Amino acid sequence: MELNVMICGVGGQGSVRASHILAEAAINAGERARVGETFGAAMRGGKVSSHVRIGDVYGPLIRERSADIVVAQEPLEGLRIGQKFASPQGVVVLNPAPVYPVDVSTGNAEYPPIEEIEKTLRGLAGKVAVIEGTRIAGEIGNPRSMNIVMLGAAYGTGLITFDRQILLDVIAAAFKPKFKEMNEQAFLAGEKACRDVLR
Amino acid sequence: MNKVGRDEAGLKTLLMGNEAIARGAVEAGIKVGVGYPGTPSSEVGEVLGELAPELGFYFEWSLNEKVAIDVASGAALTGARTLVMMKNAGLNVAMDTFATLPYTGTRGGLVVVVADDPGAHYSSTEQDTRVLSQYAEMPCLEPKDQQQAKDMTAAAFVLSEKLEMPIFLRSVTRLSHASGDVILGGIGEAPLEVGWNKHFKHPFRWAVYGPPGGAAGRHGWLKEQYPAFLAESENSPFNKLAINPDSRVAVVSSGMGTSYVNDALTALKQQGACSVLEIGFVYPPPVEKMKQILQAADSILVVEEGNPMLENALKELASDLGLKKTIVGRSTKAVIPAFNELNPDLVMKAVSGLLGVTIPTVKLDPASLQRAEELTVPRSSALCAGCPHLGSYAALAQVMKKLKDDLVIVNGDIGCYEQGGYGLAAQVITPTSDATRKYPVSSPYEILDTTYVMGSGIGQAMGQRRALAGDSSKKVAAVAGDSTFFHACLPAVAGASLYNTDITFLVLDNSWTCMTGHQPSPRSSVDGMGAKIDTLDIAAVCKAMSVKCLKTANAYNLEEATAAVREAIDFPGFAVVILSGECMLQVLRRDGSKEPKTHVVTETCIGCKACVRVGCPATLFDPKTKKAGIDPLLCVDCGLCAQVCPVSAIVTE
Ligand SMILES: Cc1ncc(C[n+]2csc(CCOP(=O)(O)OP(=O)(O)O)c2C)c(N)n1
Repeated sequence: MELNVMICGVGGQGSVRASHILAEAAINAGERARVGETFGAAMRGGKVSSHVRIGDVYGPLIRERSADIVVAQEPLEGLRIGQKFASPQGVVVLNPAPVYPVDVSTGNAEYPPIEEIEKTLRGLAGKVAVIEGTRIAGEIGNPRSMNIVMLGAAYGTGLITFDRQILLDVIAAAFKPKFKEMNEQAFLAGEKACRDVLR
Repeated sequence: MNKVGRDEAGLKTLLMGNEAIARGAVEAGIKVGVGYPGTPSSEVGEVLGELAPELGFYFEWSLNEKVAIDVASGAALTGARTLVMMKNAGLNVAMDTFATLPYTGTRGGLVVVVADDPGAHYSSTEQDTRVLSQYAEMPCLEPKDQQQAKDMTAAAFVLSEKLEMPIFLRSVTRLSHASGDVILGGIGEAPLEVGWNKHFKHPFRWAVYGPPGGAAGRHGWLKEQYPAFLAESENSPFNKLAINPDSRVAVVSSGMGTSYVNDALTALKQQGACSVLEIGFVYPPPVEKMKQILQAADSILVVEEGNPMLENALKELASDLGLKKTIVGRSTKAVIPAFNELNPDLVMKAVSGLLGVTIPTVKLDPASLQRAEELTVPRSSALCAGCPHLGSYAALAQVMKKLKDDLVIVNGDIGCYEQGGYGLAAQVITPTSDATRKYPVSSPYEILDTTYVMGSGIGQAMGQRRALAGDSSKKVAAVAGDSTFFHACLPAVAGASLYNTDITFLVLDNSWTCMTGHQPSPRSSVDGMGAKIDTLDIAAVCKAMSVKCLKTANAYNLEEATAAVREAIDFPGFAVVILSGECMLQVLRRDGSKEPKTHVVTETCIGCKACVRVGCPATLFDPKTKKAGIDPLLCVDCGLCAQVCPVSAIVTE
């Protein structure tokens, strides 16, 4: 068994946190796990990607075009990582809320249209599920739980086969107790949204 | 308690490589931990600092790596188990002590943890410090994954005491900053009694120049230890040989290379198809095992992260034995490039080439791939919204603009502010061959002329000043952060003051060592274990060094900061400006974030982009409407953009 999940986004969105939660849950479910992270020099706002590998794995990095799931917390980063790592059979779970790079705000580059990103990724990955993670998290009460909504969406692909409760327990332990209920809602909302889209 | 310190032997949990190293030290019962932060090594120290008060040992962030290794060796000579950690570049700073320590050895276990950065994600070089352990003749271990990182660290303390020699533990980014499942061992106690004996086993054991024989004599003693080092390597459980008598090919690997090889063999369904030698005790390498693999195979692939160290050792051994073998690896470009880090695709290709098996191909839609490339725009590294360095650079940029024809050289240094020399990826730069040429600066990301290593900016400014002597129209400046100031700038400040070198030195004091993840600096009023302490005063240090022109200003007050920088640049002699403003992320962490009030009054905005040139990621510009905007998710109400707006279109209440 081998499952490769790539979680990408922008510094501050919580992709590293999400990847550690997924790997810890996998270990609790009796699997082996690896997480490899890549981020730049910037503290906030830089591109971040986390490789999560579960099962019969040794190194922390996913081979190109071998990610079963790409969780894109930000669309441009989803495009950047998706084109390199998404497996042609894989699923890209895309949060369509952009975080503009300085290159765009200083007028040196133009942010690609979200529909174009989606369309292009559809040509490269097996499936693309657009999950409005930021919006859903905001409705639940905290836009910062977007990473948990998107983790729920990754679970909603059906490719993560261990029990949902194992993940929810790790999430509960990773945050202050007062966030437990909200995070659970966020996870379940993401899962449902993804199941609905992929049905 | 941090899970790394839990006394739960047998627990299987996810640990980052750096956490695993810290755990190994805790299991070995360390008494003193010391280091200087640097990505990708910092979490080793962060975790030790967090655990130290609870588990009853000491941890210190020293002011640089040279101090750190001295503190560490001082502790270890008493018999205390001690770990010192740093990044690759840190070992260069610590080199004087590092290269000398093996001449005396140690009494207590001393483990030197260095995290290299193949691929130079966070570093000025890709240097392979295994080579430096060989240079210093100090035994070196290199873990392949997080479990081994923990086990090796714990074992290194035992080995260090057995050999009475410091042990070098080499990590890399993909180990230190990656996580994996680790089964914890128990928390142990160190066996040695801590004390002091100046003639421990040898007369004047801890005096390199001392009798008998002085340093050369001690070098002779070190050479005599080599057979014991080699015997440890030959018998080390971290060196594993598996000969396949039916195959004439082999893979030799070390560290992360071993993990990539195992992934490749698994993916290609070729486990056991060839002979393999996995080397974790890399210096000295296990010669007998290497001989056996040379005899068992005709074609050998060596997979290692960094220089072709083991590859060359194998080649040398083959030639000594008169064996003609094909040995390929880092020095064979077509197999593994001589630079940049290993990755699983690269290793898979090399392994499949060796075994003569094909990698299953993946079919892709070329049109979509091309479209994806066209659509992808860069995301350049930027300072955080509201960073005080944005204010310092805006002030410097204003002074540079007013100086018109004068050329200002701004030497950078290492810290968040080094992003002032990154440029923006989407911007096109046209280099020229002129000896002197002035370029416009349209964002803080273009303000720096040089960036090398910690502390080099001020020294290079001093050299430029002397070379450009007599040309007062060329102004020379340098910047450094507060952590860098205390790490590597003090002797240069003393020199510039002593010789009254006409340069301007800007100290960008944000009160923390931010770039490496907000470890305390001497300005933070907290120590490495979280206890409150007094800060050091940068102005007082400069005064004590007789700096004649000394200015201080608030980095968030552009008028004040600009005036201070201008006066310093105009001063004919050495001038220091301390620009202060606490890192905004630290302020937000402590005080919490509020809804920002800053916004643009669109009707008033004239679209001049003065605000955009401050370079804050929260400042937006709509090319269609030609109006500026503020991103409410990022803005922290620092007020810098409002201060540069010529028509007061940015309102902060
Ligand atoms: C010799 C060496 N040790 C450690 C590092 C890692 N490092 C990068 S920047 C930096 C210091 C950052 O602190 P500061 O100068 O205060 O600037 P800030 O990031 O806070 O702006 C350190 C320690 C390094 N690059 N070189």
